[in-house]
Amino acid sequence: MLRKLNIRWVPVLFLLPSVICYVMFKYYPLMNMAYISFFDYSIVNPPGKFIGFANYTEFLKSTTFWQAISNTFIFFGLYLVLTFWIPIVQALFLYDIRRGNAFFRFMYQLPTIMPLVGGVLVWKWMYNPDFGLLNYWLDFVGLGPYLWLNDATMTKLAIVLPAVFAGNGIALLLYYSALKSIPTEILEAAKMDGAGPWRRMWTMLLPNIKFIIVIQFVAFMSSVLLAYDHIYIMTQGGPAGSTTVVSMLVVNSAFQQSRFGISGAVSVFMFIVIALLTIIQNKISAEKD
Amino acid sequence: MKKKAKLMAVLALTLVVSLFMAACSGNNGGNNGSGNKPAGGDSASAPPATDEVVEIVSWDMPQDGDPAKPYWEQVFKDFAEKYPNIKVEHVMQTLTKEREQFMTAVVGGEQPDLYANAFPDMESYIDQGITADITELWNNYAEKDMFLPSATQAATRDGKIYGIPNFMYVTGLAYNKQMFADAGLDPAEALKNWESFGEAAQKLTDASKNQYGYALLGMDWADWFFEYYVWQAGGDLTEQQEDGTAKLTFTSEPAVQALQYYKDLKFKYQATQKNVVQSLDENSNDFYQGRAASMIAASNWFGGMVSSGMDIENIGFSVLPPGPGGTSPAQVGGAVWIFNPKATPEKQQAAFTYATYLMSKEVQDGLLQYQMDNGIFPNLLNVRSDVDASQFVEGMPQELIENVQAAAGEGRLEYFLKARLSPYVVKAVQEVLLDEKADPMAVMQKAQDLAQREVVDKYNQEVKK
Repeated sequence: MLRKLNIRWVPVLFLLPSVICYVMFKYYPLMNMAYISFFDYSIVNPPGKFIGFANYTEFLKSTTFWQAISNTFIFFGLYLVLTFWIPIVQALFLYDIRRGNAFFRFMYQLPTIMPLVGGVLVWKWMYNPDFGLLNYWLDFVGLGPYLWLNDATMTKLAIVLPAVFAGNGIALLLYYSALKSIPTEILEAAKMDGAGPWRRMWTMLLPNIKFIIVIQFVAFMSSVLLAYDHIYIMTQGGPAGSTTVVSMLVVNSAFQQSRFGISGAVSVFMFIVIALLTIIQNKISAEKD
Repeated sequence: MKKKAKLMAVLALTLVVSLFMAACSGNNGGNNGSGNKPAGGDSASAPPATDEVVEIVSWDMPQDGDPAKPYWEQVFKDFAEKYPNIKVEHVMQTLTKEREQFMTAVVGGEQPDLYANAFPDMESYIDQGITADITELWNNYAEKDMFLPSATQAATRDGKIYGIPNFMYVTGLAYNKQMFADAGLDPAEALKNWESFGEAAQKLTDASKNQYGYALLGMDWADWFFEYYVWQAGGDLTEQQEDGTAKLTFTSEPAVQALQYYKDLKFKYQATQKNVVQSLDENSNDFYQGRAASMIAASNWFGGMVSSGMDIENIGFSVLPPGPGGTSPAQVGGAVWIFNPKATPEKQQAAFTYATYLMSKEVQDGLLQYQMDNGIFPNLLNVRSDVDASQFVEGMPQELIENVQAAAGEGRLEYFLKARLSPYVVKAVQEVLLDEKADPMAVMQKAQDLAQREVVDKYNQEVKK
């Protein structure tokens, strides 16, 4: 006998617009992208000729693609090592600051209202080898001048550097909020039991904000692996392809070479890579729990 | 378990719906029911019915900062009065990423009826069927012979016409006369050949004054100016074979010599800016502000130079110094009005009428007159042979006008398949400019092998089909 369905219609009705939007603007483009990746896409008579996995085999054989993949993961490594932990540490310090706490929170948030393009252009100007501020300062301490955007290795670092100094204010706020949600009684009790600051941090604070760190890591991973705008503004993918990342390849294939099928295939590949990495990450953190 | 099963069912349903929607959209590229009829069909050449209003979209609204905008707005009004049966919606494009904006419109089924497209993209757009074949309309056009062959060449393929010339320019070397004089250099001697130019540029470079001899273009358009050096060495980057296929000549002696010369300008003469991959705008600013003594410039850039603070009397213009080939051909560039192949024949006819109105002698002369009346330096080249820009110039040194005209005499279009091969050439140029130890021959060989495998083999297969 079928059990009578007991549907609560009010939440469903409230959810419906967002679900429709998600399907229309997220799932539909995603599926369409997967669909066109199997065609030699014709702009004038879409979708063109069905070619199966030929687009996939073509880009997998292309050295340009593998250089872009390599660049993308080098950027991922650089961002992970140089930037991801910074808002966590900042939040931990901020948590212990009693006087002027609101001022510091405000100061950390202030740069987030600065438009990305403006920030990147300021850094680009600072990197100028002739009249940039960075070389001018380095000159005072007997270093430089460096050709920040003229060297394949240095350019990658130059792109990541702004994120080191003007970190992620929103992430800081999330970590800080998570820390504030830890009951103070537990921390006080730990203190009374003789737990020092390091012990409290490793055994109480960090484990309690782990769920936020995991969520932030997933968001961080997809944002870095799909990064485009700031890299494009800084170097347009150069010099000599040293900062061409996969998302740039997707745009170039579609809009410069009119090869939308290849563009779709590369996008699907990246979707799968990010999905797999997210699953692995979730599995590892679930096992640790 | 049940919860999981329900969740899976919902997900599956969502995916099925998305797939269904994707499949439904498989053939939605058309913007009307007219199919893909060429513009040159019988009905296309007929004038639009006088009692019916034909609406067309033209991406031709000038930018807000364009000093000639009031003139064009008046032209739009005049056209609307003269042709009440053609209603034109004028759309303003973004200042950058024009190509991406246009391609997005095409893919989204929103291709404008009329669009001014740059010369190098014509080849690829014709291949893809983005540009309508207007041969019949063109052949019936009374003033077609008034257009310069060098301008119509970019819109011609196998005897068919795919567009109407919009504007053109010619490139050459712009130099700062005062900086040359201060360095005790005679431009005629300095620009005699590659070696004399390299030495002059070296002499013009003075780090203590933050000035350098030559603003070299090494960013992602690097092949644009680099190809000129290959021409000067007596070669080209590609060859179009008789059967229409492409042959790469990256490793030919002239191409390697040109790359070696680029390397020399940077490392031997040390006559370029430190950041060789800076943007063209940054190069231009360096020239305007007296940091760069010379740069490659186009014949329609003088207005910008003067409005940026340069004295027109201080700007010199010359053909580029000849290389080992003994020649120095200038590049002819510009844009072509292209038409939407999916538009109805009536719309194509209306767009053609509108484009030819914009390109009429009356409108072109009017523009030059307006520019002269308002102190704007014009483009010294016009796509029409019966429009003489030099008659509408006040305050521009005669020597400058003559040098631009001289450069135009030996103009040529950019290298064959440029739109597809550009990333490979640019990468090679950048590798040599950024690594003093790089071997130009090895770099060009690597670029050629890659371009052959990833672009040319596929292109030649398509051509042979």
